[in-house]
Amino acid sequence: MKKLLDIAARVSDQAEVFSIRNDESSLEMRNGSPTDLSASIQSGYALRILTDGRIGTAYTKNLLDREELVSNALNSLKGRVDAGFSFPGPAEIPASWLPDESIASMGFHDLHSRSRKVLDYLNRKVDGQIDVNSARGIQDMAIMNTSGLNVSRKSSFMYIFTSLLFPNTETAVQKLYQSRKSGDFPERELDRLVDLYTSGLPEVDIPTSRMKVVFTPDTLYTLLWRLSVAVSGKSFYNRVSPLQERREEKVLSDKFTLYGDPTDPQEVDQHFFDDEGVPAKKHTVFEKGVFKNLILNLDYADKLKEEPTGTGYREVMFEGETVALPPVPSLNCSRIAPGDVSFEDMIRSIDRGVIVFGVLGAHSGNILNGDFSVGLNPGFYVENGEIKGRVKDGMVAGNVYDVLKNIESVENKLHDSPMGGMFPSILLNDVSVAAK
Amino acid sequence: MLDRLRSMISGVEADFIDIRYEIKTETNIGFTGREIKSVGSNKTDGYVIRAGKKGGFSSVTVTKEEDVPRAIQLAVEGAETIVATGGKKSVLAEVPVVVENVKLVLDGDPREISIDDKIELLRKYNDLLLDQPLIETTNLTYAEIGREKHYVNSEGTAVSEEILTTNIAGEVIAKRGSLVQNIRIAIGGADGYNRLLSREDVFLKKAQIAGQLLDAEPVKGGTYNVILSPMLAGVFTHEAFGHFSEADIIEDNPSLREKMSLGEKLGSDVLTIVADSTMRDQIGYYVYDDEGVAVKPVTLMDGGVLTGRLHSRRTASAFGEPVSGHTVAEDMRFEPIVRMGTIYIKPGEQDLDDLLQELGDGLYLVDGKGGQTSGENFTFGAQYGFKVKDGRIGPMIREINIMGNLFTTLQNIEAIGNDMELSERGGCGKGQLNIKSALGAPHILIRNMVVGGA
Repeated sequence: MKKLLDIAARVSDQAEVFSIRNDESSLEMRNGSPTDLSASIQSGYALRILTDGRIGTAYTKNLLDREELVSNALNSLKGRVDAGFSFPGPAEIPASWLPDESIASMGFHDLHSRSRKVLDYLNRKVDGQIDVNSARGIQDMAIMNTSGLNVSRKSSFMYIFTSLLFPNTETAVQKLYQSRKSGDFPERELDRLVDLYTSGLPEVDIPTSRMKVVFTPDTLYTLLWRLSVAVSGKSFYNRVSPLQERREEKVLSDKFTLYGDPTDPQEVDQHFFDDEGVPAKKHTVFEKGVFKNLILNLDYADKLKEEPTGTGYREVMFEGETVALPPVPSLNCSRIAPGDVSFEDMIRSIDRGVIVFGVLGAHSGNILNGDFSVGLNPGFYVENGEIKGRVKDGMVAGNVYDVLKNIESVENKLHDSPMGGMFPSILLNDVSVAAK
Repeated sequence: MLDRLRSMISGVEADFIDIRYEIKTETNIGFTGREIKSVGSNKTDGYVIRAGKKGGFSSVTVTKEEDVPRAIQLAVEGAETIVATGGKKSVLAEVPVVVENVKLVLDGDPREISIDDKIELLRKYNDLLLDQPLIETTNLTYAEIGREKHYVNSEGTAVSEEILTTNIAGEVIAKRGSLVQNIRIAIGGADGYNRLLSREDVFLKKAQIAGQLLDAEPVKGGTYNVILSPMLAGVFTHEAFGHFSEADIIEDNPSLREKMSLGEKLGSDVLTIVADSTMRDQIGYYVYDDEGVAVKPVTLMDGGVLTGRLHSRRTASAFGEPVSGHTVAEDMRFEPIVRMGTIYIKPGEQDLDDLLQELGDGLYLVDGKGGQTSGENFTFGAQYGFKVKDGRIGPMIREINIMGNLFTTLQNIEAIGNDMELSERGGCGKGQLNIKSALGAPHILIRNMVVGGA
């Protein structure tokens, strides 16, 4: 990295090198037996150079020729892409925790035995098809720049993700367990999943109408995706956000607080700087319904003349090659502040409504305007506080700025979401549900 | 290169081993509004190793050549673990041993066009969008992705093939007050740069529709009879039916596998669906898949009867059906999985006016805005649509998502148009991105679709 940075520094005003290495393995068990075992050892390097207020970028996964990478960045510079920002200098960053040895040494057999435990436990409780996916990984990431920043972090993770499929379908209730150390799926969580599965076994027809709707932690990304786009520096700079000119206004229910906190010790991906080397900290976007702050990377912080928020990450919503992606504004390790009712009490309070446990098509529709229209996959119908079964062919639709003004209650506990972040369930009033 | 790959896998104690080495090149240019946001050309590479031993099968991907021996060891260990833990037994269907170097044939090689010319072409289309009334901004990119693939297996097959796709794609955004509407745009293909030229009409039309959407009504949720435009019918074909034709999707779900038995009458009489990646001018075109098998056209459904399926060598053997050459990876970071390539509904005999008369009252929904499937349930978005009353197209509508059950919907397809359109850009995300997933159809009429709305 240092050699690459030195070469780049000789031909630019400022330079930055980002590197990453992932060592991961995964096991897929479908319908009770192992179906796929795979591993990957992937590396990558991204270079950014700044000269005369312009930026040049280049990347490779395999650093065979440093001069060629610098040459690609110089050619990119000729595209005359404006960049008024500077790379950040050294910062006080707490020592990141080291990868757990139990995950570094975890082999295929260990992954299998932990998945098998989940399978055997669930098999004793339900008759249906059970799928279990598990993975472990170690990541090394580092950033160096010519302003003197030299930071790195190592992390480790494992997860087990289990699905109970309803008979003759691929529709399932699912639960994620993840940890920085090797561990086993807590049995109480599996019991809760079994209870849900059992209550969703009957299929019910419901009429098209407006009713109460619960978004569970696994499905809240449908709504948060739309909010994240609206509060991104990019949308504000291009003046296409529905929240333009509405900073410090109460735009959502006072029961809704959204923030990101990569430093949270509960976070499996705990970290103290973003992918541009800016210190990460708790960053509140909505507080009791009031729109407080934008999500910015270095570029849009400069363009909007605001302070960087430590929220520049090399990512897109689905997949993507980290080093090929430019840092974009993104709220990592997001949280919705918990409310004051248990999930069970929340359900008991519903006269007529739907609980959304899975969605199809969260990426469809007019995301920027806040509109959503998603298939229930599955959604459970509730009447007089009791789950009656899962809805056949149903959709729930609305606009995020309307439905989040009308929050009835927020669960008092946060849960890991497979899409990232930790959230409570949220009960919304008067939402459109379409069904056959 | 092929000799180097052969030497890497020689002497490995496995029943089967293959290795794929790829060099990937990318050129990207991006505009947001009038501002150029990114320009760059990059090159990278990597390896994918798969091993079969005693009926177990496993894969490992690595970036660096120095990690290949470790990857081979891990792949063999993975295959052994699958067997030791009672996992799935895999047998590869027999295929001809092939030694071939497939050359790229292009109508205009983008690698010979200067980056300045590409920027100017993109700027021209971008400015055209931004100059239209009510347009607030754009996100528009030029993307050129090349894969130089070299594949060798322990049976003697050694294939090199180069593929190159180019496209200009993105969205145009109209705004009035706090109401924001967007329309997606994509032109491109796998047959060269020249298809990107002189396409102003496409961009102009999309900008006009984005502006008109500001005056459209949100659709009211409910059950409707609908006509889908060719691109939207293509999304349905890909999302709802196509994924179920991929053998690996249904392989481990016994009940779905039974429902999808060849010979079953699953669709209406008018419905014939084909997967054909051998059409040279389509984005789904390739010659060999990523396990060295030549791709073949497959009629998946004929007159409503299920007649074919898309396979890897492993799934072909497991199902006892012919290999089809549909095992494709996004790039060198991924093991290949069963993918569709080009899929479409064969045209019928009625024109759009005939379909509108047959519809009477309902909705005419146009162009796709993403879709997703989970087993037999699917959902997809329409970019815009129109109410239809007495066979006449009425006011424009927006915020349209459709949901349905595959088996019910296949039976509810009542009429097929005589027109045909195929997409110019892929982007299916079945665990990994497939930029060569072409889709298309004529207009089609479907009864009783659930439409989500405000």
